[in-house]
Amino acid sequence: MVLAGLREVAAEGGSRALWRRRSLWRWLAIGLLLTWLILPLVPLVIWSFSFSWFFPSTLPSRWGMRAWEYAFSPTASVLPALWDTIVIAGGTVFLSLLIGVPAGRALGLHVFRGKRIVEFLVIAPTIVPPLAVVLGIHVVFIRLGLADTVIGVILVHLIPVLPYVTLVMTGVFANYDPEFEDQARSLGAGWVRTIWYVMLPAIFPGLMVAGLFAFLISWSQYVITLLIGGGQVQTLPLLLYSFARSGDNALTGALSVIFILPGLLMLLLTSRFLTGRNQVIGGIGR
Amino acid sequence: MFAKSIRTTGASLCLAAALSLAGPSSAFAGKEVDSDWPNMTWEEILAEAEGQTVNWYMWGGSDIINSYVGNWVAAQVKERYGITLKRIGIDSTVDAVNKVLGEKEAGVSRGGSVDLIWINGRNFQTMKQGGMLFCDYMQKMPNDQYINWDDPTVAFDFGIPVDFCEVPWGRAQMVMVYDPTRLENPPKTIPELIQWVKDNPGRFTYPAPPDFTGMFFVKHVLYSTAGTYEPFIGPFDQTVYDDVAPQLWSTLNDMAPALWRRGETYPADRAALHQLFANGEIDFTVATHPDSVGKDIDKGTFPPTTSSYVLDDGTVGDVHYVAIPYNAAHKAAAMVVANYLISPEAQLEKAKPSVWGVRTALDLTRLPDEWQQRFIDLPRHPAVVSDADLARAALPQPNSEWVKPFEDGWRKNVAAKN
Repeated sequence: MVLAGLREVAAEGGSRALWRRRSLWRWLAIGLLLTWLILPLVPLVIWSFSFSWFFPSTLPSRWGMRAWEYAFSPTASVLPALWDTIVIAGGTVFLSLLIGVPAGRALGLHVFRGKRIVEFLVIAPTIVPPLAVVLGIHVVFIRLGLADTVIGVILVHLIPVLPYVTLVMTGVFANYDPEFEDQARSLGAGWVRTIWYVMLPAIFPGLMVAGLFAFLISWSQYVITLLIGGGQVQTLPLLLYSFARSGDNALTGALSVIFILPGLLMLLLTSRFLTGRNQVIGGIGR
Repeated sequence: MFAKSIRTTGASLCLAAALSLAGPSSAFAGKEVDSDWPNMTWEEILAEAEGQTVNWYMWGGSDIINSYVGNWVAAQVKERYGITLKRIGIDSTVDAVNKVLGEKEAGVSRGGSVDLIWINGRNFQTMKQGGMLFCDYMQKMPNDQYINWDDPTVAFDFGIPVDFCEVPWGRAQMVMVYDPTRLENPPKTIPELIQWVKDNPGRFTYPAPPDFTGMFFVKHVLYSTAGTYEPFIGPFDQTVYDDVAPQLWSTLNDMAPALWRRGETYPADRAALHQLFANGEIDFTVATHPDSVGKDIDKGTFPPTTSSYVLDDGTVGDVHYVAIPYNAAHKAAAMVVANYLISPEAQLEKAKPSVWGVRTALDLTRLPDEWQQRFIDLPRHPAVVSDADLARAALPQPNSEWVKPFEDGWRKNVAAKN
């Protein structure tokens, strides 16, 4: 978002006075957003380096590296958990786009009988608590041998993720003009080349937004990971929750920082794609 | 390996294939725990255990405990028995119980994913009543000789007969935690404490039941109100409850306005209580492991001036155990690990204040003299209550059948009225 804002500011250098006024508001908004995002994280960082910190001191009375030493020790298994969380979130993003893009295209471009029912079914997982569904799925997964596996966890993560991916892609395709595909086809492109050179570039910003949603939602799952992964699939939220509940603030702080960084990184990496200037598509990120 | 290959390939047809797949160490015995259990010797169990992986589900909220199990115990059983110990940290033991229950409902009666659980109290009761435990294996374990099964605090887990369905691993007992620089003469009995609370409004509170630590406090007031613990270690009795409960609620309600925030709200759990104490908002917290007080000072969770003591009218203590689920995939290795956990060296290491600092579940008089001396010689953090004082003040936990009625009663009669 920040980078996108900057680029727009640079591009619209027309009237200086207007530019100045608009840029002031823009910077104010950016500053506010940053404060909002970053300020709550500051105490976590301080806690992670604290040894003892009691009310009413503003800063810890003693500093220490205990939390970080433990977090990177083999006992804590934070690094394997980080890897598992990345694999699961990555797998969830890939599968959800594989399902969500065609679904979004169908819902965004076509009118068909029972479309309202399909739309309702797509958003149903956001209304029904996933836990209720997953309890039943667990028994099935045990029989199929999917319980306690990374694949099983990726599959259940699709439940809370798919509504968001499908809805975002439906919005993208609602503004998509398929006649550009017809042009490509009439110029001799096959359907693979049409998808690759026409559809994908056009929906790319939407794809990024949907992927980011999928990544972040999968990244923060706790209950359904615990149930299907059965503790054998250890993700960061599981480790984090154990320490948060036991009241070890230093360790909770350190793990929270490790937990939050990849999300922020993804946000920064994808934000530059969110400006979306393409004549095939009506508008997202404008 | 042996057990698993037979199960997956199925039937005796594939026995030859299974034998060639399994390592030589497990093949020679020709017996396996799942089918030949009663006739097996300890040597045969050791042979089957070699090369197995034990999935140990245990509460993972303490870096000290995680290190003891994940580093020290894991390295020892690997070296001695060739067993890989996998510590699976969970937020609450209920998660492991539910997992076994889920497998039972799905019909997985063999090859279950949980091999060992750190457990006691109500979770043990759930598993025992549900037929979800593997039992009667202690007689085969060499280190069982150090356990005194005639000791009621070991043979009864929150009033439930253990019946050789779990292995005692350590002892806990509640202590009062305070700061002598803030308070020179802390109250020494429950009635004195209640009077002190009324004289010093806003300086005391307890976590809201059904929190474990909160129930500890309610149990102490219950014993004090009833004047005895004896009726409560037996099964639930409605007439006793009807007799004592009204007095208990009125005692708690009388002190409620003098609690922290006038008793309008209660801390959620022990962690919150500790934090209130550490930040000086209240003058007492309680620890359910006496040695954890020293640990929490060393870790910086409590101020360095913190100390602890036991009440003269006694404090409630209990034993925690490890148990093997009925459908565990690696029972042999789980038994070998459980046996190692109650060896004198593993218990001594666990009891060292620099490691975990939890009291042993063994009967010290059954140990060889040199080992007894090593336990006596253990250093003790100055803030931690001595073993003699703890033993003098020990009260048993009530039977877990009593817990639910008092939890519900507290919600209806105390929480709702303030």
